[in-house]
Amino acid sequence: MKRAALLALVGALAIGCAPPQASHDQPQGAGEKTGELQVWLFAEPNDEPKEKVVAEAKKEFEAAHDGVTVKVEYLPVDGRANRFNGAFNDSNSSPDVAEFGNTDLAGYVASNGFADLTDELAKWPEAKDLVPSVLDTAKVDGKVYGIPWFTGTRALFYRTDVFDELDLEPPTTLPEVAEVARAIRKAKPTMYGIATGGKSLYSALPYVWAYGGDIAEQKDGKWTATLTAPEAKEGLERYAELISDDICPPSACAQMTGSDAVAAFAAGKAGMVIGGDFNLPAIDAGAVKGKYKVVPLPGTETGSIAPPFAGGNLIGVFRASKKYGLAVEFAKLLAGKKYQQKMYDAMGTLPTFGDVQSKLVASDKSLEPFVASVKAGTKFVPATPAWTKIDAQGILPTAIQQIATGEQSVDEATKAAAAEMNKAFGG
Amino acid sequence: MTVVGERRPAGPVTSKATERVGDGRAAVRYLLPAGVLLLAVLAYPLYQLVQISLYDYNQPQASGAAPLRFLGLDNYGELLGDPQFWSVLLATVVFAAVCVAGSLLVGTALAVVASRARPIPRAMLFLAALGAWATPAMAGSYVWLFLFDADLGLVNEVLSGLGFTGMEGHSWMYQRYSAFAVVALEIIWCSFPFVMVTMYAGIKGIPAEVIDAAQLDGASWRRIATQIILPMLRPLIVIATIQSIIWDFKVFTQIYVMTNGGGVAGRNLVLNVYAYQKAFAGEEYGMGAAIGVVMTALLLMITVLYLRAQQKAGWSA
Amino acid sequence: MKSRISDAICVIAAILVAVPLYWMVLSALKPEGEIRSDSPRPWTLEPTLDAFRRVLDVEGFGRYFLNSAMVALLVVGGSIVLSFLSAVALTRFAFKGRTVLLVMLLVAQMVPVEALTIPLFFLVQSVGEVAPAFGLNQLAPLVLVNLAFSLPFAIWMLRGFVAAVPRELDEAATLDGASRFQYVWRVLFPLVAPGLVATSVLSFIHSWNDFLFAKTLIYSSTDNRTLPQALLVFYQPDEQDWGAIMAGSTLMTIPVLIFFVLVQRHLVSGLAGAVKG
Repeated sequence: MKRAALLALVGALAIGCAPPQASHDQPQGAGEKTGELQVWLFAEPNDEPKEKVVAEAKKEFEAAHDGVTVKVEYLPVDGRANRFNGAFNDSNSSPDVAEFGNTDLAGYVASNGFADLTDELAKWPEAKDLVPSVLDTAKVDGKVYGIPWFTGTRALFYRTDVFDELDLEPPTTLPEVAEVARAIRKAKPTMYGIATGGKSLYSALPYVWAYGGDIAEQKDGKWTATLTAPEAKEGLERYAELISDDICPPSACAQMTGSDAVAAFAAGKAGMVIGGDFNLPAIDAGAVKGKYKVVPLPGTETGSIAPPFAGGNLIGVFRASKKYGLAVEFAKLLAGKKYQQKMYDAMGTLPTFGDVQSKLVASDKSLEPFVASVKAGTKFVPATPAWTKIDAQGILPTAIQQIATGEQSVDEATKAAAAEMNKAFGG
Repeated sequence: MTVVGERRPAGPVTSKATERVGDGRAAVRYLLPAGVLLLAVLAYPLYQLVQISLYDYNQPQASGAAPLRFLGLDNYGELLGDPQFWSVLLATVVFAAVCVAGSLLVGTALAVVASRARPIPRAMLFLAALGAWATPAMAGSYVWLFLFDADLGLVNEVLSGLGFTGMEGHSWMYQRYSAFAVVALEIIWCSFPFVMVTMYAGIKGIPAEVIDAAQLDGASWRRIATQIILPMLRPLIVIATIQSIIWDFKVFTQIYVMTNGGGVAGRNLVLNVYAYQKAFAGEEYGMGAAIGVVMTALLLMITVLYLRAQQKAGWSA
Repeated sequence: MKSRISDAICVIAAILVAVPLYWMVLSALKPEGEIRSDSPRPWTLEPTLDAFRRVLDVEGFGRYFLNSAMVALLVVGGSIVLSFLSAVALTRFAFKGRTVLLVMLLVAQMVPVEALTIPLFFLVQSVGEVAPAFGLNQLAPLVLVNLAFSLPFAIWMLRGFVAAVPRELDEAATLDGASRFQYVWRVLFPLVAPGLVATSVLSFIHSWNDFLFAKTLIYSSTDNRTLPQALLVFYQPDEQDWGAIMAGSTLMTIPVLIFFVLVQRHLVSGLAGAVKG
């Protein structure tokens, strides 16, 4: 009797009260005008030049605002979810400004993470020069949640010295990429034919797209995974083929992220890599400076180009920031024309202002392969809040790893991944 | 320091009527500080954990951007229907069992040996063991990772030097079982000292006359060990086993650090890391909480079963 | 005769157990070129402190060290007082529900604390709204959390030590007319001191080791980080600075080791005392 009463009490308690939730409203007014402004930016391979530019912006900002210090922290891209979710759950001591990827936008906005900057941008003269298609990547339901900081495109980097020595030609189709990579590893067993890994998602996606597949499609506003379509499966299988003992051994590459792969190429450990325009300075800072060239990642047929992923990062203001006014000011400074130009000089990141961009691209030959890739047509991940979750859960990398290690067949791995994705889409 | 020992009458204190008065009130006062802290920081969050596990609780819900939806036991249902959960559970149980058995065997054996050794070798062993015990989990994980590094590690170098040339450049942390094995070695390395020191203390607590008498009777050393020392150590072994089960079943840092968050495609996951990944990387806090609740229940069950088995085997202290 | 075999086993075991430690210190002292060599040698002819310098150069390493030390010492202090009081109550006082409390102490150790990070995050956040010093990104909640999670084991262990003090002393003290409070602090506390030392070591390790709570509760403040997070800095994709990682690990291990060696005697004799109880 007593026990039953206790059970009932426990049951009532469990159902009666709800678990804790944070709450964030769109900031009203400027908030605190002094103190420490906390800024989160992404750490990238060899990002000293980025740190230098940011340090300059910090100095300028601190000089213009009495009693304000800017504290910048560089977070690793891999594992960012923990940190951002922490900030979203914290309505008391959240950081103020952050760089984030456009793929995460929908998810972060669904979590009330970032402040609506539409009105701020309307008042900002520089904003009207933002490339409209790029600005669109910062919008959810017509509202802007971040200032586009730079865009990025990936292409195929290859070592000219290695290719000359082995008498190889740059690959013109995706199957050739694997062949050439195999040849390199065979001749130089300590080198990866191409550095790429199970976690280098943005190297894998162009394969899926090039073979005519996609990871998901939207019908009547509802997303469904399309990984099990034959085209998508072929793309994934071809990509997973690169992670094998005769190209990039799974024991080293299965866990490799895009940044790891670029770091390996920059250190001279790989014959090729799928890298971004934003990686150019990092690679130039490494052992292979002057010993590499870039071509668009080829498609399935000679002369075609695999659609690259339309990446880009935004600077946003945390919704829970207590220094909303200062945060917006700093975001405008760092993502404004002046510092975008400096970032381009330092990191090679492509500016998002139309006038700045056209001026630079015309004069920079190293950007040509990237521009050619963009012109061939870029693609994007599903623009839905669910993507952040799909990305954070590592659903696609897990599938690639399972295929590459032979743990599961392509059919099994894609079927499981598609089911997980559909669950995230709310199927 | 025994679990079942509490069944004894609580000693002379209770037999005195004068002292019993006010004991309850004094106990409350003495227990209050620890009680308040444990209620606030452990019991209350545990209660909330159970709550969260009953809801559809993801990132938007946590940051207050989406309404909560009560699911009842749906998270548990989904968990039990997920084949990955069962394979992780199996891996956890086997892995924990290996670690527990390893630390107990090594710890107890070395304690017996140490009690028979001369002071200097014994001091050497204790010093080394204390060093292993003192090494923070993080530091220990890195050291072992480095020892087993494919190219730069000592282990491959020694093995290939001994003629196993195939081991050159062998990647230990890639294959599922060898990765688990390396992590288990690290865990045994840093947890056997607790067992050893406890057992050693226990052996020292055995009156010397008992052993002397047995020796005079011509009992072999093995007989003395298995028939006198081990039975006398039994209460201690029970305690050490329970502690080891609790610790090794919940291992987190070593797996997380050494297998880079659970290995390739999550094949080195154990329950605790699985819960963490579900909750924090996967943003499914409700599901992560459900795994946590299931884990607590499982540990409780294992411990109760173990204690029952011990009691049945005739042990009472 | 048997003893000689035991001696030999002791020495061999000691060497095997010490290898990882030796390798850690050795690698920390090796010059970078030797670390990156494919054929590592078990000695170095050119020891250097470069790796240690790289570690100490990292912004805030010293600060993280102090943070860790402060948290750990506060946890130890708190744990000594709280676990002593509780252990006395649980062994010396007769009251209803004692067995239940003991079982709960064991259960408390089974809760996977990693899963509790979510509710704790929210708890600490709401406390922070009232008392900012105990909010997120502060060290105080870290002290409380580590204290709470090391307490069940500390009380559990200390019970044995308290029980080992002969009860005749209690009676003698009451005959003297000493108040219970005085008796507990003046007589019992010093007698249990070796046990307190032993448990405090374990609380110290617990707190010093903590990585998860530090990471979760101090998710954005760079000033209030603790040591384990500093170590992560060197574990970079594809270019692990093993020398620095080993140097950092060494620096992290030394304080615990010192603590251990200082109290080693009490640890062993203390545990022996606990056993007799």
